[in-house]
Amino acid sequence: MQCKDGTISVIVGPNGAGKTTTLKTVNGLLKPWSGGIYFGGSDVTDLPAFRRVEGGLASCPEGRRLFPQLSTEANLLLGAYSRRARHAAETTLDFVYGLFPRLKERAKLNVGKLSGGEQQMVSIGRALMTRPKMIILDEPSLGLAPKLTAEIFEKLVELRKEGLSMLIVEQNAVQALGVADYAYVLQEGKVINEGPPVELMDSEELRKAYFSIE
Amino acid sequence: MVAAELIVTDLAFGLMLGCVFSVVAHGLNMIWGVVKVVNIAHGEFIMLGAYGAYFLNLFAGLTPLETAPVDAAIGLLVGYAFYYAFLHRELRNKETITLQSEMVTLAATFGLSLFVSNLAIILFTGNPVGVNYNPGTLQFGYVRVPLAALYVAILSVLIIMGTWLFLERTFIGSAIRAYAQDVTATELVGANPAKVASLATALGFAVTMAGGALLTVWIPVGINPLMGALYAPISFVIVVLGGPGKMWGSLVGGLTLGVVIDLLQAFTTAQIAYAAAFLILIPVLVFRPEGLLK
Repeated sequence: MQCKDGTISVIVGPNGAGKTTTLKTVNGLLKPWSGGIYFGGSDVTDLPAFRRVEGGLASCPEGRRLFPQLSTEANLLLGAYSRRARHAAETTLDFVYGLFPRLKERAKLNVGKLSGGEQQMVSIGRALMTRPKMIILDEPSLGLAPKLTAEIFEKLVELRKEGLSMLIVEQNAVQALGVADYAYVLQEGKVINEGPPVELMDSEELRKAYFSIE
Repeated sequence: MVAAELIVTDLAFGLMLGCVFSVVAHGLNMIWGVVKVVNIAHGEFIMLGAYGAYFLNLFAGLTPLETAPVDAAIGLLVGYAFYYAFLHRELRNKETITLQSEMVTLAATFGLSLFVSNLAIILFTGNPVGVNYNPGTLQFGYVRVPLAALYVAILSVLIIMGTWLFLERTFIGSAIRAYAQDVTATELVGANPAKVASLATALGFAVTMAGGALLTVWIPVGINPLMGALYAPISFVIVVLGGPGKMWGSLVGGLTLGVVIDLLQAFTTAQIAYAAAFLILIPVLVFRPEGLLK
């Protein structure tokens, strides 16, 4: 699998296909049994997750994984934990608030009190605070109303214009393929098809992966 | 009138005792609340802190107040060593502590507790010792307050306030609070989880040993190798009263216990007072299992 600079790559596939496992291997929470992970030309297979974050690989994990007892702003600022990000924390925070003005209104509020959509914004914002070159997103639409999902995906497209690369896993294949530059169809842990989304949209494999009962 | 005076005096002493209890329990609270490990050997490190005050007084003439920062510095080192010896292997690469790791750390720290207290018997003998520190008394109306106890109470509150400020106002402090809520997410913001957890553990030990030094003011002839057997349960009760992981919980739990013990002592014996104090744990666990603090 490959993700090019400044593009959005999407992994789609049914439940249990290994999408989340793939992402956790990329961000370093799991170790691959074989093969390797390369980021920006260097081998990061043996680096722990936090080192990959320092190197510019950020994550919005499944279920968002925010710190519910901390304020919105404290959650965001934690994203700027690594030394490289800390120097630019204020500038990045302004950028995040510019992207999601609603978070600025909620800055002092405990993040546990925010709506699902706002929490997803915090999750993306926290990832941006690490000053990443690439963000990995696991199910950004999870639990969100269609309108909010569309809004989130719009923001992701905006971020691509800034030169950010993204690797997205989505159940909501139509929405994800709509913004993707390249897509992989995963089934039972294997890539069964790949290509630009327009080519995949009406492929037999994608339809099978999603709709066949067998 | 006499009864009222007695109660006011006991209340004042109870509050001061409660302050030092709070700081003694605070180290346990930090480790329990952040790393989710209950250190059974907690009492032994209070004991070592108390002996620190005894020996530094004996050989260098330091007061318990002056020993507290020295004990804290030693506690930091001991805490790091403790983390890497007992906790690191159980905690690394885990999203939350597993039941198996909880059992392993309970058994390991229980073993450590026995080892340290028995080693202390060999090194320090079983004879109780004490530190003589008496900077005078202060008269508040009809209440006479020993200055030593007052200084210790103030320093205790400052220590708890200091740890709170550290956790609230510093980057690494907020990472510690984050770690207490979600280890994996802490790693995903770029913090090294082992570094965060070991620092929290080290801080816990620093506070515990400093607390041991301050406690000596209250036990003029009570420093002995087995004193941990009393102060560990007191600490457990305080942490449960206040709620593990709540920094001000230590103070709430400590003051509650201090006042209850001192008031009961006025009417019964010390033994009954301590026994009865542990009983308040039962209603708290039944009605407010998350602790007295919200």
